[in-house]
Amino acid sequence: METNETATATEDTEQEEINLAPAEEIIKNLPDNSRSHLIPTLQKIQVAYRYLPPPAMELLSEFLNITRAEIYGVISFYPVLLTTEPGKYIIKLCYGTACFVKGAPIIGDKMHERYHMRPGDTDPTKLFTLQTASCLGNCGAAPMAIIGDDTYGNIDPEKTLDILGEYTLGDAETPETEEATA
Amino acid sequence: MSTVTKKDCNVSINGKAVSVPEGMVILEACNQNEVPVSNLCYNRKLKPFAACRTCMVETVVDGKKELVYSCTQPVCDGMEVNTGTEETDRYNKACLEMLLVEHPLDCPICDKSGVCPLQDNTDLLQLFDGRFEIQRRNEPSIKTNPIIEFYLNRCIMCGLCVRACDETQGVQALDYHKRGMSVSIGTANDEPLDCEFCGQCITVCPTGALMDMTSQARGLAAMFTETHTTCNYCSWGCTFKLESKKGQVVRIEADESYNVGINEGNLCAKGRLGHGIIHNDQRIEAPLMNVGGTHKEVTWEEALKAIADRMETTVNRSGPDSLAGIGSEKLTNEENYLFQKLFRSLLGSNQVTNLVNLRAPYLNQFTLNCFENGIESQPITKLQEADVVLIFNSDLPSEYPVGGNSIRFGTVFTNTDILIANPRKVVFDSNAQVDVRMTYKHGSDLAVASRLARIIIDNKLVDTGKAQSAIPNYKDWVQSLASYTAKTVEQTTGLPDDVLTRAAERFARDADRFVIIGNDVLDTGHGEETLNALLNLCTLVQHGSTGSVSVYPPREHCNSQGVNDMGCTPEFLPGYQSTKDSAALKKFTAEWGTCSLSDTNLATDLLQNCISGAVKFLYIAGEDPVQSYYKPQLVKEALRTVPFLVVTDVFMTDTARMADLVLPSSTFAEKEGSYTNMSRHVQRVAPAVLPQGVSKPDFDILIELAEALGKPFQNTDITTVQQEIANVTPAYKGVFPGNKSVQWKPDSTNVKPNFHINADSTGQNGNAEGFTLQTNNHMFHIGSYTQYSKALVEIGPECVAELHPEDAKDLGIATGDQIVVESSSGKVEVKVKTSKVTSRGMLYIPKNWTGVPVTALRNGEEGLINVKISKSG
Repeated sequence: METNETATATEDTEQEEINLAPAEEIIKNLPDNSRSHLIPTLQKIQVAYRYLPPPAMELLSEFLNITRAEIYGVISFYPVLLTTEPGKYIIKLCYGTACFVKGAPIIGDKMHERYHMRPGDTDPTKLFTLQTASCLGNCGAAPMAIIGDDTYGNIDPEKTLDILGEYTLGDAETPETEEATA
Repeated sequence: MSTVTKKDCNVSINGKAVSVPEGMVILEACNQNEVPVSNLCYNRKLKPFAACRTCMVETVVDGKKELVYSCTQPVCDGMEVNTGTEETDRYNKACLEMLLVEHPLDCPICDKSGVCPLQDNTDLLQLFDGRFEIQRRNEPSIKTNPIIEFYLNRCIMCGLCVRACDETQGVQALDYHKRGMSVSIGTANDEPLDCEFCGQCITVCPTGALMDMTSQARGLAAMFTETHTTCNYCSWGCTFKLESKKGQVVRIEADESYNVGINEGNLCAKGRLGHGIIHNDQRIEAPLMNVGGTHKEVTWEEALKAIADRMETTVNRSGPDSLAGIGSEKLTNEENYLFQKLFRSLLGSNQVTNLVNLRAPYLNQFTLNCFENGIESQPITKLQEADVVLIFNSDLPSEYPVGGNSIRFGTVFTNTDILIANPRKVVFDSNAQVDVRMTYKHGSDLAVASRLARIIIDNKLVDTGKAQSAIPNYKDWVQSLASYTAKTVEQTTGLPDDVLTRAAERFARDADRFVIIGNDVLDTGHGEETLNALLNLCTLVQHGSTGSVSVYPPREHCNSQGVNDMGCTPEFLPGYQSTKDSAALKKFTAEWGTCSLSDTNLATDLLQNCISGAVKFLYIAGEDPVQSYYKPQLVKEALRTVPFLVVTDVFMTDTARMADLVLPSSTFAEKEGSYTNMSRHVQRVAPAVLPQGVSKPDFDILIELAEALGKPFQNTDITTVQQEIANVTPAYKGVFPGNKSVQWKPDSTNVKPNFHINADSTGQNGNAEGFTLQTNNHMFHIGSYTQYSKALVEIGPECVAELHPEDAKDLGIATGDQIVVESSSGKVEVKVKTSKVTSRGMLYIPKNWTGVPVTALRNGEEGLINVKISKSG
């Protein structure tokens, strides 16, 4: 059943035409085609789409006269730049020393058990994308995580799923784009 | 006269005094003086990079000792270099030791084994035991790319592939992914490669992380038998190694050693991957005789006897001139020489020609005119030191990819200026500081070339007085350029005059200039006039300024130059000696015994003369005019009409199917001889394997045919035939190569500079309605053989036409659609994609697929072809 759903989901996204207008607008507003605009433009495109859609990279490659290989070479250096569409909520799980010893790996395991995602993955329903952070600078509240825009401290690893359970795909009050531009 | 002059530095390397050019890095100075220095990331064709840190040497300058990395540090006068000292070895070893921690020791199954720089360096530094714990990577091999396998466990992150892809090939299909500890090599978004498949990355890789998947063997490359030979595809004439194992060619590898060939170890997709034609089960297996419409296998004796008998009876019944032959742009010089000798000496017929001469006899005249005007042209190896290169109507990455490599090298190391004149916005990325693009309206080649000359005269960019005193008809010529005003040329070509002015300024300055002309010029309908205009332009700067000019005629196949040099033309005996020149004829009679030729000329209009019945016997050696000649209907009619047709070829081509007798010939890998490239370098072809089945090299076929005629040739092996050629062809004296090729030189005493004034100086094709058709060779295909190479078909599987996106939009056509292209004489169906490379109003179709016979659209018409495009179905 679940696999069936996933299959339909991927099919849908494949068929879905990416609206290139926002990317075109961003590129059009660049003062010139100097390659120094590459990283700021990647950031803007990511804000508009929440990730970097390949057709947009093609437009950028053409405009800045930088090959796609080189653009993806840059993208691969920055974990913040995403090449595939993330889940609705991005989880930043702190893997800093303090959080690590206080149970961050257990939290990670729990997430994997329930949502089938390892750090870097998106769960099959596209609700969450799990990322790890080297340190979120809040060691006093270890272990901690940021889910979407909400920060959680002193997480009891056993209650991980309770926290995550509050987030659903049907949450209409925080549409994706608003969240992204906020 | 290069604008970059370098003085020499006196340096001592390990106590030995040597002189090297200023600015050369220490490592290169050591390499050239055969002093080994460990290194893994240096390549003389690329910018210094210093990634591997294993090339440290000790230098002493003014008594001050320093430890430097030799791949980045240039030499200076009085520098003392010491390599392999206890101290440098310690540093170099430490770095190598760390690389070996991760590198798998799977040498027995590695393609580089035995020819591996990593092995060599380990050995050089005598690093036999490491101090570190071994932590090998164990990632799976990536085989999703066509042709190129990535086995990144072996990668040592030297960056050579990334840099070669960028600097040498201008493609940048590879880049570093991530950085630091987790750095790796990868393609855009980890998608399968979609590049030019030149394989330069495989050549430069020092470890076997990148492998040629077309190779029939894995591992122990050092055990392969290497045969250095010359590529048999385009006219650039690259040298490569044919590697064979147990009598089978397993792969083609580049050789980056010094002084090997003209290509510095660069290769293109065709050269590297085109070995699939050698061992191929589609090859013709036996001599075939047409018996009542079907081809029946016969023995060589029967076949040769049948040909000899037919030759004799035809000579007796209809006279020697009723026998004609088409020599081949793909046969060796020796074969072409024997071919015309067979006709001229044994049969007494002067009716020999070749396809390029049949189409454009003015090309040979162009070469001779260059010599007459004092333009000898430098060896093509000097192209990489050019100050300015004019690439005229040539899609370089498709036509002469390795020429593009040399030019890109120049843009990095000599600051070469690039001037590209082309009706398409051809892709050519390089490091050039000056890169002038003249994208002119299709068919206005002549106006561009003429306007460039006029600008040089009007703006006095050269010493016009000097040119005028050197060239008698200077004034007449300048007069003939009167109509090429800025305004009219802008109207004709669509090019603003300031672009042309900038190009003219760069071209006219004192410099070493090179002009590369594409074969597309022949399709414009003004081929001869355009070549004349370019020659005039070159003559003007040659005689009006200092520096040099080198200009090469457009040549398509590996021996397009040689087949003409060897006299497979009705106008010329070997070495461009006129067939009307009695002194030359006397010389040939002395050498051959008999050589009495009539004045009849049926070869210039050969096809028509076949149809009219004047030619009764036709021998086509290794060509497929039905597919490749621009008048397919006429060819078919001629071949149908001619009473007896002999074809020798490797594969059963459309031409061979029409023959009365088909003889199976050998590929380039199975024969010996020489090819002459477009810049007149005579280069060796050497056999790597025995001929497949009963096939024979054309050389042997011709020798045996002479025997069957009862008039055997005196010289019957390659060496003596080469001597014979040298005897009768002054230009070929002393050029038959060992491992180093020589460019044949013209008789330089004959300089009579003269402008070639075009009678029709308007140079416009009538305004085209609808779309104009542009055709040339595809990047992965040339001639009739590449379609039989599995690897080349894999990367270039189908013919795809190109159309500007705006035009496509207007027609309601999208990438991937099937379209019908219709000209006044033919119709083809082809897949299309949109591309901004192709200008508006133009349709580009590569010409190498039998299923899309673009020559049918032309069908003998000269000039631009108008086509109508409609969506299929």
